[in-house]
Amino acid sequence: MNVPFSTITTSGTFFDGRSARPHPVTLRLGDHLGITGGEIREEWSLIDIRASETEPPTMRLTLAGSPARVEFTDEALASAIGARCPDLRVDDEAHGGVLRLVLWSIAAGVSVLLVAIYGVPASAGLIAPLVPPSVETQFGASVDGQVVSLLGSPPLCDDPAGKAVLDRLVARMTEGADLPVKPLVSVRRHAMANALTLPGARVIVLSDLIAKSNSADEFAGVLAHEFGHVAHRDPTKAVITAGGVSFLLSLILGDLTGSTLIIGIGQAAISAGYSRDAERAADAYGVAMMLRAGGDGAALATILEHIDEDAEKESSPTGFLRSHPYTKERAATIRRLAGGSQPDKHILSDEDWQALKKICPVAKATPGDEKPKKPVE
Amino acid sequence: MSGSGSMPGADPSRIGVIAFDRETKGLTGIVVKGFLLSLVTFGIYRFWYITNLRRYFWSRTVVAGSPGEYTGRGKELFLGFLVALAVLVPIYLLLFGLSLASPALAALAGPISFIFLFFLGQYAIFRGRRYRASRTLWRGIRLGQDGSAITYVGMALGWWLLTIVTLGIAFPWMRASLERYRINHTLIGDSRMASTATGGMVLKPWLLLYVVGLGPLLVSFLAFLIANKFSIPTDMMIPDPHKPGQFIFNPIYAGTPLATYGTVVGVVSAIFIPLAVLLFPYYRARETRAFMNAAALGASRLQSTLRARQFYWPYIIYFLAMLGFVAVFAIIIGIVVAIVASGGGNTGAFSGMHWLLVLLVIPLYLGMLLAFAVLAVRIITVRLWRAVTDTTTIENVEALNAVLASSRRTASGLNEGLADALDVGGAIEIGF
Repeated sequence: MNVPFSTITTSGTFFDGRSARPHPVTLRLGDHLGITGGEIREEWSLIDIRASETEPPTMRLTLAGSPARVEFTDEALASAIGARCPDLRVDDEAHGGVLRLVLWSIAAGVSVLLVAIYGVPASAGLIAPLVPPSVETQFGASVDGQVVSLLGSPPLCDDPAGKAVLDRLVARMTEGADLPVKPLVSVRRHAMANALTLPGARVIVLSDLIAKSNSADEFAGVLAHEFGHVAHRDPTKAVITAGGVSFLLSLILGDLTGSTLIIGIGQAAISAGYSRDAERAADAYGVAMMLRAGGDGAALATILEHIDEDAEKESSPTGFLRSHPYTKERAATIRRLAGGSQPDKHILSDEDWQALKKICPVAKATPGDEKPKKPVE
Repeated sequence: MSGSGSMPGADPSRIGVIAFDRETKGLTGIVVKGFLLSLVTFGIYRFWYITNLRRYFWSRTVVAGSPGEYTGRGKELFLGFLVALAVLVPIYLLLFGLSLASPALAALAGPISFIFLFFLGQYAIFRGRRYRASRTLWRGIRLGQDGSAITYVGMALGWWLLTIVTLGIAFPWMRASLERYRINHTLIGDSRMASTATGGMVLKPWLLLYVVGLGPLLVSFLAFLIANKFSIPTDMMIPDPHKPGQFIFNPIYAGTPLATYGTVVGVVSAIFIPLAVLLFPYYRARETRAFMNAAALGASRLQSTLRARQFYWPYIIYFLAMLGFVAVFAIIIGIVVAIVASGGGNTGAFSGMHWLLVLLVIPLYLGMLLAFAVLAVRIITVRLWRAVTDTTTIENVEALNAVLASSRRTASGLNEGLADALDVGGAIEIGF
């Protein structure tokens, strides 16, 4: 800074920061910036001069900590000021600020993602047993409504004879099983071979599952698997996980209106992507239940395999039984747990099974159903 | 220097010109940097991006020879956002928990959170404006805003209720009343601005929008209600049995007045809702002009000659540019799909070539989004901004010289963070 500079002189406008009155001044840049004109006599130290953003060639200077401003339009002076004032532009993004910001934001984002992927399911496992049964039952009822409307409000199947068989079957299977709540099994007419377990021990069976079952034991095997989810409170865990994850994600994405949150709940119940561990645990539970109730424990493996094949053929998503790459592995484990296939064991008499298969009465014409669906195979 | 922005033919000492940069050099760089960094920082950079944009627009707006100055910081907005999160997250969790615990409340959770968000949104709009004003300087003089955000929220709520009750007739008076409150609480230094805006000023453009756009809709809907004796059956819409999640008209009502008038309402809304949307920039332009002309600071008055077409061109150009980009993008996607399909005849297995193409499409898509962001700022924001600034002059500009600085404290950025979390306000608001 000690090198003598050539002096540059130009005219500008000075504002004292106390009033908006413009003061025409002469600017003289030497080893200080001299501002003179009328009663204005200012000497600005070059290291304290700051520039605020303007459209070149206009330049606006201020003295650090002072409200005074000087504006001028002179390219020679502007470039000389740029060369001689070391702290001319100090802002937020200087000194690696952007890089630091980017790195911290990425770290924060990754941390939130990790919490969403690992932390939330783990804490859902801890929270789920703490949910009081009354709350869970109530919640199950409202989710039931949501899910049914998401499925397109399929009608309830309640043929009295079939329903009686189903109730007896459920009572026999759950006898001695210490389920937190008595399960509530309902059947709905739907062209999807699926069964859903909702919070509050509600199990919705879609009628195509019964149609696709080759024996009562196959159907009962799936039901027992679902009771496994009930026993392990998987639906409640899934809902808590889905709520937590969508909340965290909306936090990252900046959508705080909560819309994703609300959508998340119903979706979670339907597509309940339980973890493989949860599925295996439910399989094991189901096999044990089938054996206890005197059925064929391996029938679950059979139905899993043939629904999986059908799904591949039709390439249609079929809910929880959809084309899992690990179906083979699951089936093998189920057979091992069941101690091999026992085709001579039947959980229902043939007569009862026929009654159960007719639980969905012949389609009644409902409003809007002017085009009858192709008969369920 | 104060004479550097004078209009030819006018008395240079009395008319002050407001002008915006012609070339907007460096703006594209800000948008590209802002877009890309927002992308990799999960959106956190947006606060710094908005700050950069504002600094650019403020500094390129020359009012009576002196450019404006924006001294806000990205940090302040980010901090405000964090505080807003701290306030909002527990509230959301509470609403979430309540709707889980009690299905009866679940139905109410929507309306409750809507009303709550409306309150908060109006509050954030007013306080966000206060923040922006306190970070704006002109000739070294800081702007400011006083008045109570709670009062503003109360006024907004009352006026909206009145507007709904009067089927929209009260809308211009609502706009004028809120504008008066905002302008009358805007300060430049210690000089207070004043607005004489009235609903009558914008009644004509509003009525045009109303009669052409909303009128037929209201009439057809009223006819629908009267024809059905004000009782709409609850099962008018039923879920589509073939497409889950969609609703169709219940066929058991076919041929009844319900169906006939329902169709009329449908057709009318299909025609007139887009028309109303198309007329809205016209209304906004007229309103901006009227309200600008009503604003004054002491003896200085704003004069606006804004034309409605200046509000249409930016949108038309942007729309055409977007069409062009989408067409190019669609052609490229089409070519990629064709290549994948032609090569993928054998069991559809993905080869390295296909992955390469897919990997090419993703940056292409991001590139298109980036192009849209640049175009939106360069075409819509810049042109709308310029339309307003270049048509506005200051009558009696000498009186502004008497403005004195104020010793007010500056507002905090906390409340603008709230506005961001609620997604109200947008990046840059035109006008005061």
